Amino acid sequence: MTDSELIQAVNDVFADSFEIPREKLTPEAQIFGDLGLDSLDVVDLVAAIQKKFNVQVRDDERIRSIRSMQDLYHYLIMIRNEQKKA
Amino acid sequence: MEALMAQRKTVLSRLCIVWLNVWFWSLFAAASILFLVLAVPYVYLFDLLGRNRRRTLWLVRRTISHYGATAMHCGWPLIRVRFIDYAPQEKPPFVFVANHRSASDAFLMSVLPVECVEILNIWPSRLPFVNCFSRLAGYLRVREMPFDQFIEAGSRLLADGVSIIAFPEGTRSGSCQLGQFHGSAFRLAQHVGAKICPVTISGNEHIPSRGSLVLHPGRIVISKLPAVTCEQYQELNAYRLKTRVRETMRKHLDAQPV
Repeated sequence: MTDSELIQAVNDVFADSFEIPREKLTPEAQIFGDLGLDSLDVVDLVAAIQKKFNVQVRDDERIRSIRSMQDLYHYLIMIRNEQKKA
Repeated sequence: MEALMAQRKTVLSRLCIVWLNVWFWSLFAAASILFLVLAVPYVYLFDLLGRNRRRTLWLVRRTISHYGATAMHCGWPLIRVRFIDYAPQEKPPFVFVANHRSASDAFLMSVLPVECVEILNIWPSRLPFVNCFSRLAGYLRVREMPFDQFIEAGSRLLADGVSIIAFPEGTRSGSCQLGQFHGSAFRLAQHVGAKICPVTISGNEHIPSRGSLVLHPGRIVISKLPAVTCEQYQELNAYRLKTRVRETMRKHLDAQPV
């Protein structure tokens, strides 16, 4: 999966699980402020991401620092690269 | 000539604000003292003689509601409040979700004709008067309890027929903008299958403004919109549900005259 495919897949999760219009899903968009997710929605988001990408990220401390869509894309690209190396 | 007229209008409007504030705060202080002197011993005696916890809680909540209604009318005739119920036939309990523009919102909820408790943020608990009575009435302090405990306490209240009022923006917007919603109240409703009733409050963004105690004359309109039933939202997750309810409220608020 290329970076742009991965970004597209992340956007699919937001569009499908949360009905967020795709035009709002820009790299700068803040997950809490702009997209309106709260801490409990993030639990649902993590579950949807785990299902979509078949990864286990729930206990990863790095998730806590994610604020924007860009942070999320970077994080998932990093996870993908780690999986490739392994 | 026009400049003189405008100047007179400004002076008149300032005088109006001064008169309103002197009038309101005097009446409000008197009402608060009267409430303390009469209602508190009455509730205490009722509890002592009746020994029925449920009836006492009902009385405390009704008393707070009467106090809110009294406060709401202290600004009359310069502050007028109109309540419109778009679905009066619907039966409680509800999870009411209201927009939050001003500190007066909590008082304005006294127009709701059912037994209610509010979900409180941290700051109102710091006010001794509010803290004491909200504890007596069993208000829910969502930020001071684990989420599971909040769901459990909320479920018990709804099962008991008590409606719950939430301000899902979490804090006063201080403007006409509707902030993002937190999902706790929606998750509670989903947990028990309760009806979610949107309530919009408009016209009170300066009664008083955020960070001020100065009231401005105005007309407040509180609208209780038709509730969203469990059957209508069962396919939605909490985010979609809160987004749809927020959209309904936003459309209604946008249609209100500024």
